[in-house]
Amino acid sequence: MDLTYGSEYDAFRRTVKDFLAKHDADAPRAGIGSGEAAPDLLAWQKVLVENGYAARTVPKEYGGYGAEPDLIETIIISEEFHTARIARGMASQGISMFVPTLLQYGTEEQKRAYIGPTIRGEMIWCQGYSEPGAGSDLASLQTSAVLDGDDFVINGQKIWTSTARESSMMFALVRTEPDEPKHKGISYLVLPTDSEGLDIRPLKTMTGASSFNEVFFEDVRVPKKNLIGVRGQGWEIGTATLVHERDMLGGTGQTETLLLNLADVLRDYGKIDDPVFRDKLMSLQARVVAMKYHSLRMLTDKLKKRSSAGAGLITKLNGCQLNHDICALAIDAMDEVGMLRKGSKHVRDRGMWQSQFMFTLGLIIGGGTAQIQKNIISERGLGMPREPKPAARA
Amino acid sequence: MDFGLSQEQVIFSDALAGFLNEHVPIARVRDIMESQDAADAALVKSLAEQGVCGILVGADSGGTGLGLLEAVVAAEQLGAAATPCSFHSAAVMAPLLLAAAGKTDLLEQIAAGSLLVSVVDKAPALLGGKLDGEVLFAPDTDVADAFIVLCGEGAARCAVYLDANTRGLGREALVGVDETRRVGELVFEGVDITADADLGVDAATIDRVLDAGRIVLAADALGAAQRLLDEAVKYALERKQFGRVIGSFQAVKHMCAETYAELEPVRSMLWYAAFAWDENLDDAALVASLVKAEACEMATRAATTCVQVYGGMGFTYECDMHIWFKRAGYDRQMLGGPAELRQRAAQLAYG
Repeated sequence: MDLTYGSEYDAFRRTVKDFLAKHDADAPRAGIGSGEAAPDLLAWQKVLVENGYAARTVPKEYGGYGAEPDLIETIIISEEFHTARIARGMASQGISMFVPTLLQYGTEEQKRAYIGPTIRGEMIWCQGYSEPGAGSDLASLQTSAVLDGDDFVINGQKIWTSTARESSMMFALVRTEPDEPKHKGISYLVLPTDSEGLDIRPLKTMTGASSFNEVFFEDVRVPKKNLIGVRGQGWEIGTATLVHERDMLGGTGQTETLLLNLADVLRDYGKIDDPVFRDKLMSLQARVVAMKYHSLRMLTDKLKKRSSAGAGLITKLNGCQLNHDICALAIDAMDEVGMLRKGSKHVRDRGMWQSQFMFTLGLIIGGGTAQIQKNIISERGLGMPREPKPAARA
Repeated sequence: MDFGLSQEQVIFSDALAGFLNEHVPIARVRDIMESQDAADAALVKSLAEQGVCGILVGADSGGTGLGLLEAVVAAEQLGAAATPCSFHSAAVMAPLLLAAAGKTDLLEQIAAGSLLVSVVDKAPALLGGKLDGEVLFAPDTDVADAFIVLCGEGAARCAVYLDANTRGLGREALVGVDETRRVGELVFEGVDITADADLGVDAATIDRVLDAGRIVLAADALGAAQRLLDEAVKYALERKQFGRVIGSFQAVKHMCAETYAELEPVRSMLWYAAFAWDENLDDAALVASLVKAEACEMATRAATTCVQVYGGMGFTYECDMHIWFKRAGYDRQMLGGPAELRQRAAQLAYG
């Protein structure tokens, strides 16, 4: 049992600290929106890439820093940036999801065209996967791409496309082989979001914000060289992308901070000595502690390059529910104030608890619903059978 | 960064699991449950041979010389096998108290499996060097060779060692729902507490030992929950209704998935709790209370859910599910239930 990172990383941590201290005056602060391409963020992104704090493991020939992957280094960088409250860089889907996918499946030409501008924040990406008729059953997607000369012609609709309005490019799953079985008929295409026939409409969620969008395609032409991989390989590539999403080590720091803030709310509303609230608070605290050490156990497995088996499948399910439950108790502690909204007189913490309570529900649903997570856990974690497929229709 | 069991600890766990699987199958557990004193001296001896009785006893006293993390690993396997022994009392709390008191000869006998000591908490305070009154829920009442009685309250607590045939000490078994571990009542009528009997350990030591007991009970509950889940999944893959195995119905899959999703983080937390206790970290006491509360909540939910997966058969006495269901019940109630321990934890965390 060793909960330290090892003294061999002390020197590395010092270099990170030194870098942050050097840039403390001019660096953007943490908390700025990730999708924005504000000039100071772009300039900062360049500095980060040059020093290996963004695109750290992206090969040098594509504009990255070219370091060997090292999980502990990644964690130390995150910890120090968090402590210094300095912007971590442009954390877009392009950088976290598309670039790793392209490194694995893209041609040389595609890597050179897209990776550099993406990691420098000049090219902002959005993900065109889900459709109104294809959510949990993503493989049933119907947005079609038909080859016409040198172009694919796209018709259909995507939904839940976050950052579509701020993006210049989209990576999308489209159906190119309608006669093939559904998983084999999908292709992975990239296209500019200002394409003729592509229409983006904001999607307002219950929180009142419109951080998602619907995207409509009417005869959108995309050059066939924008195909990543080969036709029919889209499902394989798309699911590989989702693995990279999961690989983003969801540290428990955010949840731990939320718990500290909850305790503040309980104190401020005179509930910290109330036995009922204390009992619920300690239940949540127990779950936070369990999650913290569970993530260290998963990290250890990754470092030892061994599978976590089923134990690695529960993080999303547990984490999202826990954040939601923490917000719930904070709202309860505030009594009627917990019903107010941002902007109102008397509202607490700019209505953050109330909007987070709703947003965390969105996270329980998005990226794989809790029910799908439980299916996956029972099937891959416990070896239980998949649901029988319905009889084929005549 | 290396959070988890070492290779040696995994080997130790597997070896004990293998031993219990072969020598303490559920049929033997049932025989012991139905016997007069629900105990088996031969079982204690063979556990001693496996190094279980002396797990926390130093090697120089003939013990295995391991720490609480190994005790937790052992407790999980003992719980999974519903082993009829009060491991948390006889092999964890008793040796810790005796080691603090320097009683090497007694430790040697414990390690050898020839001395069974029961630790019981919340006895009345000593008055004029005598012990009067009663205390409930002493483990292994009928068969213990000696009792360590934790007397008094707060900073004035003390631990006294009493041979089972001490004059003025009466004992009577209580009837418990968990038939694999017996508890009983001790009655003290003017029992003389000699200077020798007082182990001379302070309240802080007693608290730390009780925390070790709690962590080990949490591990027992984890083992019981794991076994309940394993049996439920196995059954769900065999039992057919409506033309297919019941494990292919989403409701049943989700019951198992939910149990699993609660169980694994408790395992992670338990490893940390044992490590924190071994290293005497600042949060050791807080995590000891939290982990026992959390593990026992998880285990009783697992018990209720997994019995349901087993359907009507799960409700019968003949089916084994009730054995771990009740095992989890004992773990939950002894040494502080979830609500009391969360209260304790809140006091430590928030004053």
